[in-house]
Amino acid sequence: MKTDPDRRPGRRKKKITASSVVLYLFLGIVTVMQVYPLIWLFLFSFKDNNEIYSGNAMGIPTVWRVSNYTEVLTSGNVSIFLLNSIIVTGITILVSTILITTSAYAISRMQWKLSKAFLTYILLGMMVPLHATLLPLFVVLKNLGLLNSYLSLILPYIAFALPMGVFIMAGFYRNVPREIEESACLDGCSIYRMFYSIVLPLVRPAIATVAIFTFLSSWNELMFANTFLSDDNLKTLTVGIMSLSGQQGTHWGPIGAGLVIATVPTLIIYFLFSDQLQKSVIAGAVKG
Amino acid sequence: MKSRRFFAGVLSASVMLTMATACSKSPATGSSAGNASASGEKVTLTFWNNYTNDTQHTMANTISKWNSDHPNIQINASSTENNAYKLKIKTAISGGSAPDIIYTWAGGFTQPFVEAGKILALDDYLNDGTKDKLLSGALTNITYNGKVYGLTYNQQAGALYVNNDLFKANNVKVPTTFDELLTAVKAFKAKGITPMAVGEKDEWPGMWYYDMIALRSAGASTCLDVLNKKSSYDQAPFTDAAQKLEDLVDAGAFSKDVLSVTRDDATAQFTKGNIPMYFGGNFDAQVIDDSLKGKVSAVKFPTIAGGKGVDTEYLGGGADALCVNASTKYKDQAVQAIKYLAEAFSTGMYQTGGGLPEWKYDSLDQSKIDPLSKQIMDDIVKGSTGSVPAWDLYLTGDDAQTHLDLVQKLFGKTIAPADYSKQMQQKINKS
Amino acid sequence: MDKMLRNKKTIFLFTFPTFLLFTVIVIVPIFFSLHYSTLKWDGFSKEIFVGFSNYRNLFVDNTDGFIQAVINSLVLALISVGIQLPISLLLALILARGVRGERFFRTVYFIPVIVSTVVIGQLWMKIYNNDYGMLNAVLKAIGLGNLANAWLADTKTALASVFAAMLWQYVGYHMLLLYAGAKSISPDIYEAARIDGAGEKDMAFRITIPLMKPILCVCIIFAVTGSFKAFDLIFVMTGGGPLHATEVPTTLMYTTIFSRYQYGYGSAMAIFIIVECLVFTLVINKLFSKNVDN
Repeated sequence: MKTDPDRRPGRRKKKITASSVVLYLFLGIVTVMQVYPLIWLFLFSFKDNNEIYSGNAMGIPTVWRVSNYTEVLTSGNVSIFLLNSIIVTGITILVSTILITTSAYAISRMQWKLSKAFLTYILLGMMVPLHATLLPLFVVLKNLGLLNSYLSLILPYIAFALPMGVFIMAGFYRNVPREIEESACLDGCSIYRMFYSIVLPLVRPAIATVAIFTFLSSWNELMFANTFLSDDNLKTLTVGIMSLSGQQGTHWGPIGAGLVIATVPTLIIYFLFSDQLQKSVIAGAVKG
Repeated sequence: MKSRRFFAGVLSASVMLTMATACSKSPATGSSAGNASASGEKVTLTFWNNYTNDTQHTMANTISKWNSDHPNIQINASSTENNAYKLKIKTAISGGSAPDIIYTWAGGFTQPFVEAGKILALDDYLNDGTKDKLLSGALTNITYNGKVYGLTYNQQAGALYVNNDLFKANNVKVPTTFDELLTAVKAFKAKGITPMAVGEKDEWPGMWYYDMIALRSAGASTCLDVLNKKSSYDQAPFTDAAQKLEDLVDAGAFSKDVLSVTRDDATAQFTKGNIPMYFGGNFDAQVIDDSLKGKVSAVKFPTIAGGKGVDTEYLGGGADALCVNASTKYKDQAVQAIKYLAEAFSTGMYQTGGGLPEWKYDSLDQSKIDPLSKQIMDDIVKGSTGSVPAWDLYLTGDDAQTHLDLVQKLFGKTIAPADYSKQMQQKINKS
Repeated sequence: MDKMLRNKKTIFLFTFPTFLLFTVIVIVPIFFSLHYSTLKWDGFSKEIFVGFSNYRNLFVDNTDGFIQAVINSLVLALISVGIQLPISLLLALILARGVRGERFFRTVYFIPVIVSTVVIGQLWMKIYNNDYGMLNAVLKAIGLGNLANAWLADTKTALASVFAAMLWQYVGYHMLLLYAGAKSISPDIYEAARIDGAGEKDMAFRITIPLMKPILCVCIIFAVTGSFKAFDLIFVMTGGGPLHATEVPTTLMYTTIFSRYQYGYGSAMAIFIIVECLVFTLVINKLFSKNVDN
């Protein structure tokens, strides 16, 4: 990267002015509103039902019930659940990224008659209400002999990530100046080489965005994971956590603790991927 | 590149597989692998259930004991959270891939499975003395068209939980008649205490109130006639019951935001000791006992002057049940297993306060039993002259939902009691 | 170059795996639903073919409030595009333009999307609680105690309350997309504009936003289809209640299929939602491509 990440458009050395005070006040207020759920979840994870369903639903717990965490960590096999979630989500992100970047490129850049029709076809997937697909998908997976396996989650997660991802990627490819590809073409490289080493780096912000969304939807997915898996050794983390509630009612404290545990990897992933967004790669490539 | 080609290969292979199998509409088969064969060969039975918060390990211990006692018939159990389980089991039965042993709710929930021939009738298997081990009436709710389709192991029973401390402190008499109940409600209300808890956001808790009042107003046999479509909802006792519920709402028995209160919220309000009365099920006993040990009694719901119901009738009956998949390869083994499991669950759950038994429990050490559950069993269930299951359990899907919605309208005061009965009749019994 | 971009083999290699997986997992089930929607079927017993009567029941002689549910989701789509997106765009532009703590703000604003909907639902139920909720407490503190309400229990306020929570939750989602869009605009363009003496506002309206059109189109389509398909938060917070006041097509479909055992009728709702989304997507796309041509 040749650009200095701090040399951003619009950034000028400013003195403290009235307008910048207003700006930061605004950003600060929004910050409080957006960060509150995380703090709330953290406090929530140390409470019990009596505290949650009373005046102290919002505040600091009267007793810090660390037992909520030990209950989660000892109920069922949390490390296996975590591993399952990582396997399922990891493969989903990897494969979906490959499929999305290639097919979106073919749609928005390559020249073939059916490209628009193909995009519309893929977009259909964004419009399906998920609950209606439960039974049909069950039947399909049963016939493929995939029920009760990692693939019974991975395939649907990838497939349902495609529409959103392809749509976003196609939007971004349109912003990539054609000159870049053409100049690469003059150097005489193959389309695969050009795609891999020139085009993909240019759309890294978009890949990161799509990966974040794909991660979130598969990491938190419950209905498919509950229905398609019956083996305790295949359960994902969120399924394991929600298993703490049952017919006799829900003990929210331990669930809160479990969700804190499940949210930490999410925050890390978001942090890692979203750093890609920071880099104004296009500028670097143009100049490089 | 390589990985994608590999992936595409796998994918196209599996698609061909779908085409091949999807086209030949093969009959539904059980999910067990291996060959059905004479006894002696090792079989594995799959068993799906909703035992996710089996905190006392009653279920887990029973299953592992079975597995160590029966090396040739292993049970492979899988638990799913309650609400998710409902979607899962319906989908699996519909999609023709249900487990060998199925946990289910007796009554309307199971009826469509039975009618579609997905559940094994057990009559031929129960004459080995099994029936004698069950309490009378234990199989009523799991019997359809005269045939038994499952074994229940836990029953529900409605009870009015009263917080004796609050009653004493405010000098209010625990009600035994509906008029006394209204007096108590007004007395508490006057002191700024919300008299009763109900989680009407979840719909069924409020329905329990209505169904209970209707039982007192119409009596068990009339209620069952109506539920069996032999009689009309549009008759005085049911309208009166709706009116009685309205009276409670008007007297301020429930909090203002009753329509957004969840069941968890309602039980928590009661267990915090803020609310003196809560009509719930025996399944609430454990939670209540945990926080208010010794302060709460479970009493019979008040009777209604002029009502046809008597105080020896209760809302409830066999609820949790085990069934066998009609297309299992191992019918005998599966039936043998559910006989064992159902009996062990029945006593195990009673002992830990998780439920009320459906199997005889004379040999059980009575002193160890959870006190509130024992109170409900002794005062409400034993010696009863009749019972009616919660209506949403008894009616099938569409009718149950209609009933739930109409009762919510009573709580929201958007329907007149007379219209309530009319619509019940029109939408449920005439359809 | 053009020859390279017309290479049939490459196009096939780039699109076929996607096509295949997508068809098997997403399209085949849609056809199942299409088939179910012509049946009177409880999911288990014999299927009875009833033609289009399920679709007729959605709109003619409708008794379950489907039309109101559709109207509710249209309102949601409208305020999502009219209120939520402008807020997201504003935040994205401020952050992309480079403020101190850009990374921090970008991370924090996305938190509501990261936290599980189960938790977000619980949080808002507490905020709206009649007795101890934060909203009523704030109203009382600023002397507007008479406005205090049982927000989710009152049929007049429940819908707006749920929608407010949903708009809030996904502000960060759209912000991230728009931020990525703004970030991929070449800084050289700004330099040139600045030399021409353009101010901040000019640059936003004349350069950034026009260049972000493709991603804006994506966001609007996501907001609209997302509104038509919205389910999770409504289901947790109200389940469509009280008294069906917050019902949207998906919650109604869920109850119809899984509680009422009306698989056929529920599938007709699903197909309606798909068609509705498709129509709106095509229209929005068309509007945008016209604009681009101009």
